[in-house]
Amino acid sequence: MSAKHDIINTMNINSVSMSYTGPFDGQVLSVLAKNIEYSLSDRPTVNKKVFKIFLELAQNISYYSAEQERNRRGEEAGVGILTIQEFDDHFIFSTGNLVTNSQAEKISGKCEKINSLGREELREYKRVMRKLPAGAKGGGNIGLIQVVLTAGTPIEYALNRLDDDKFFYIVAIKILKYDENVG
Amino acid sequence: MENIIIQGSHKDYFIPSVNFNAQNGMCEIAGESFLEDTVEFYKPLIKWLEEYTTAVKKPIAFIIKLTYFNTSTSRSILDLLNVLKDYEDNGGEVVINWHYDENDIDMEEDIEDYMIDTGLDINLIPFSQQ
Repeated sequence: MSAKHDIINTMNINSVSMSYTGPFDGQVLSVLAKNIEYSLSDRPTVNKKVFKIFLELAQNISYYSAEQERNRRGEEAGVGILTIQEFDDHFIFSTGNLVTNSQAEKISGKCEKINSLGREELREYKRVMRKLPAGAKGGGNIGLIQVVLTAGTPIEYALNRLDDDKFFYIVAIKILKYDENVG
Repeated sequence: MENIIIQGSHKDYFIPSVNFNAQNGMCEIAGESFLEDTVEFYKPLIKWLEEYTTAVKKPIAFIIKLTYFNTSTSRSILDLLNVLKDYEDNGGEVVINWHYDENDIDMEEDIEDYMIDTGLDINLIPFSQQ
């Protein structure tokens, strides 16, 4: 597990506004989401984006992390890390979680595709994917597309091999505080 | 036909308020939608609309006032709208009003995507949260 911890340490080097590691169950998600919505910036348009992006990224961990944990009420939730860093003119959201080999292959194809598309093409891709059958708990397929549409910036991702079966998957996205399109 | 009334909450997960009225055809979903099991929550709503549009067959005013919904909810909204589209195609009278926070600059694009997907007309009604 040392490789996993090294990555987490690297993610935490810069000025951290918020960092959470553990299971992403419903209770954790809704508490964190509310704090984020009202505490990060004084611009309602930016807060709205930050809130949406947080919830999609956190739900991805909850649904898809290869490391699942049961809470006291017996609900299973994915384990991972989420970090929000604040800079002068932007925020960076980063998440990390374990994925299996087969997930890793799909993820890298999907991330490459998302980053290669312009906004209108991405909207169309979302519409196509939304018509496909839903995944576990109704999730799946469009969370990451929505994150990029909401942020208006490409995602950065990395897949670091941990052992024969698993990768540590990191995804990061920048949210501008003073985007000209953001009031 | 029974009405559906669900009181929304904002504790673990965000449950939207639902008020589907079979007497006057007013159907409203409001609040925030981020659920433990999205499909399970929306299944009875879709079933209700299917029943209303085949058995009651009166006009429907469909009102959406969701300030937040996650992407899995966005699928279920599409399912609901598709039922309304089928109803309209078969001669049913449907009005859809979508109220959205004027600070939510992506919502207009979301609603536009639903119009492209379904071919329905949706009235966009911005509101100020303050």
